[in-house]
Amino acid sequence: LNAAPRRAPRQQIRFLPTPAPSGGGALELVPTRVPVLAEHPLVQGPRFRRLKIGAGHRLDVKASGVFVLGIGHGNKLLTDLYNCHLTKVYTVGGLFGKATDDFSDTGKLIEKTTFDHITREKLERILAVIQGTNHKALLMYSNIDMQTQEAYELAVKGLIRPMDKSPPIITAIRCLQFALPEFQLEIHCLHETQQYLRKIVHEIGLELKSSAVCMQVRRTRDGVFTLDDALPRTQWDLRSIREAIRNCRLKVETEIEKTL
Amino acid sequence: LREAEEAAPVFQYAGKAAKRKDRVFVWGFSYSGALGVPSFVKPDAGWKKPRRIQPTPYRLETEEKISSAACGYGFTLLASNTTDITKVWGMGLNKDSQLGFQRSRRDKTKGYEYVLEPSPIPLPLEKLQETRVLQVSCGRAHSLVLTDSEGVFTMGNNSFGQCGRKVIEDEIYSESHLIHQLKEFDSRVVQVVCGQDHSLFRTKKGSVYACGWGADGQTGLGHYNMTSVPTKLCGDIAGVNIIQVSSYGDCCLAVSDEGDVFGWGNSEYLQLASVTETTQVNVPRHLPFKIGKIKEAACGGTGNAVLTEEGNVFVWGYGILGKGPNLIETAVPEMIPPSLFGWSDFNSDICVAHIRCGLSQFAALTNRGELFVWGKNLRGCLGTGRMEDQYFPWRVTVPGEVVDVACGVDHMVSLVKSF
Repeated sequence: LNAAPRRAPRQQIRFLPTPAPSGGGALELVPTRVPVLAEHPLVQGPRFRRLKIGAGHRLDVKASGVFVLGIGHGNKLLTDLYNCHLTKVYTVGGLFGKATDDFSDTGKLIEKTTFDHITREKLERILAVIQGTNHKALLMYSNIDMQTQEAYELAVKGLIRPMDKSPPIITAIRCLQFALPEFQLEIHCLHETQQYLRKIVHEIGLELKSSAVCMQVRRTRDGVFTLDDALPRTQWDLRSIREAIRNCRLKVETEIEKTL
Repeated sequence: LREAEEAAPVFQYAGKAAKRKDRVFVWGFSYSGALGVPSFVKPDAGWKKPRRIQPTPYRLETEEKISSAACGYGFTLLASNTTDITKVWGMGLNKDSQLGFQRSRRDKTKGYEYVLEPSPIPLPLEKLQETRVLQVSCGRAHSLVLTDSEGVFTMGNNSFGQCGRKVIEDEIYSESHLIHQLKEFDSRVVQVVCGQDHSLFRTKKGSVYACGWGADGQTGLGHYNMTSVPTKLCGDIAGVNIIQVSSYGDCCLAVSDEGDVFGWGNSEYLQLASVTETTQVNVPRHLPFKIGKIKEAACGGTGNAVLTEEGNVFVWGYGILGKGPNLIETAVPEMIPPSLFGWSDFNSDICVAHIRCGLSQFAALTNRGELFVWGKNLRGCLGTGRMEDQYFPWRVTVPGEVVDVACGVDHMVSLVKSF
C-alpha cells in the first residue's frame, strides 16, 4: 500500500527572495509556486503505518465462512450494517447418534443413541415446527402493535423483523442432505451465535428421540455479502481486496439506503 | 479416548416401529367445564387457584383415540370410532341434557348440570358392540351423533324442533333421559351439522335435510317457521350433489362436487349480499363467486370463509375477517395472502388444507400440520397466549401435527398426532 504513488504535494505561493534579474545586489520578492515542505515524502514518512480494521458479525474458531471486515472509513458502514438487521445464512452439518457436552463432535462424549428410526419426513416435521415457533418470535420481538393495519401489511410482505436487540431467531430452515447418520441443514437466522446453532442441532436430535452433534458450521451469506464476494486465503493481497471493496460498495450503499 | 467412546453403552429411546400417538389439546374458557379438566374449575389443592381461562393448548388425557370432536356453546363432545361400549364422551354445560343424562353421584335421582370431566354418554344402540360413531356435532343447546348403521341420535333442547322430534309444550329439558333416533332419510346420512338452533343432515346421495328454528330462513325450506321433522331442501341445490355442509350461527353454506357454493339463512351481515338485498334467505341460493373451484366452506356467526382447490382462503361477511383491522365487512370474498400461512419462496408448497369456523373466530390447518387462528379472542379461545383480538392469521404452537380442530364460542379442541 505504501509503495503506491501518493498524491502530489500541495503547492503554495510564497514570496521568495531571489536575486533581481537586473543585476546588482538588491533582492526582490518574486511570487513563485513552491511545494510545501511539510508534505514532502521524506518528511512525512510512510503514509500508512497502521490500518484501522473492524470486524463485522462474529465467527468463532470452529466455524468457517464469510467474515466481513471494514477498513478505515468503512468501519462507520459496519455499524450501519449492524443496524440493518439482515439475515445470515449458514450451512450446518450434523451427525446423529452422539451427544457431547459442547454440542460439537470434538467434545466429551455424554451419550450414544440409536438413530435408525429417523426418516427424512420426521426431520422435516421438526424443522417445520422450529420455523413456526421462530416465526412467532419474529413477529413478537419486532415491537409492532399487532392491532394496526400496517402490521398486517408488513406481515403479508414478510418484512416484519426485530430492529432492536432480540434473542436468536431463525427465519428459515430446511434440510439440504439426509444420509443417515449425517445430515445437512441450511439455516437463515438473525442475532445468533454459532454455539446457538450447534445447540439447535442438539435439540433436533432430542426431538427425534435420539441425539445429534454438529460437525460443521459454515456461513454462506452475511447480509449482502455472499460466498462469491468473499476472498479465499489465496487471494488475500492488495489488488483483490481493492477490487472486492469496489464491487461491494454499491451493494452496501443500496442496502443501507433501503433499510434506514 | 477413542476406545472409551466406542465402549460407551448405546441407549435406545424409540424403536423403528415407534408409532405416533394421538392426542387431544383444549384451550379457552374453562369455568363451563367445556375443557374437561376438573382441576381448572375445582383445584385439587387448597392453595391452588381456579383457572378461568386456559390461554395456550393444554393436553387432555383420554382413554381412547378420539376421531371426531365438536364444540358447542359451552360444552364439548368427543367421539371415538371404536366398537367398545363407550363411544362418545361429553363435558361442559348440561342444563338442557345436551350431553345426555349424567347421573349425579351424590343424589342418584338427579343429574349433573355442569360436567367437568369427559363422561361417557350412553346411546340407546341396538348393536352396541358393532356400530361405530362417525361424527358428532354441537349447537347452542343440542347435539347430534352420527353412527354408521343406526342413523342419527339427537339430544338436548327441542324447543324449536332441532332434535328432529315433535315439540312438546313446556317440556323440561334438564335431567331428561330422552335421546331421539332419526332413521328415515333417502340414503345413509354422512354428515351432520348443528347451527345455533337448527340441524342439517347431508346424505350420501348429495341431498340436504333440515329441521329446527327457521325465523332467519336457516332451515332453507321456503318458510320462516320452525320444523320438527327433517325435511329435504330444494331451491338451487335440488338435484345437486352436495359434498359438504357447514353452519354454526344462523347462516348455512353448502359446497357441491363441482366446486359451487350455495348459501341460505341469515344475511344481516352481508353473508349472502352478493345475490340478494334481503336480510333473510329461506331458500338455498347459488353464490356466483368467480374465485375458482371451492373445496370446503365454513360458516361462522357473522363471517364466512371458503377454501379453494389451490389452497387459498377467501373470507367475507362482517367482523374480524383476517385482513387487518381495516377490513370489517365485505360482501364479496377477499383472499387472505398465502404468505400469512407460512408460504414464501423458500417453502412454496405450503397451502391450507382445512378451514373451520367458530362463532367469531376462524381456524385454518395447513398441509404441514400447522394451525392458524384469527378473529375475536373471546375469553382466550384463540389459544395464542394473548388476550387481544387477532386481526390476521397467527400460528398456535401445538406440540404435534394438528389433524383436526373444532371451534366453539369461547373454547377450541384440536386432535393432534405427536411427532
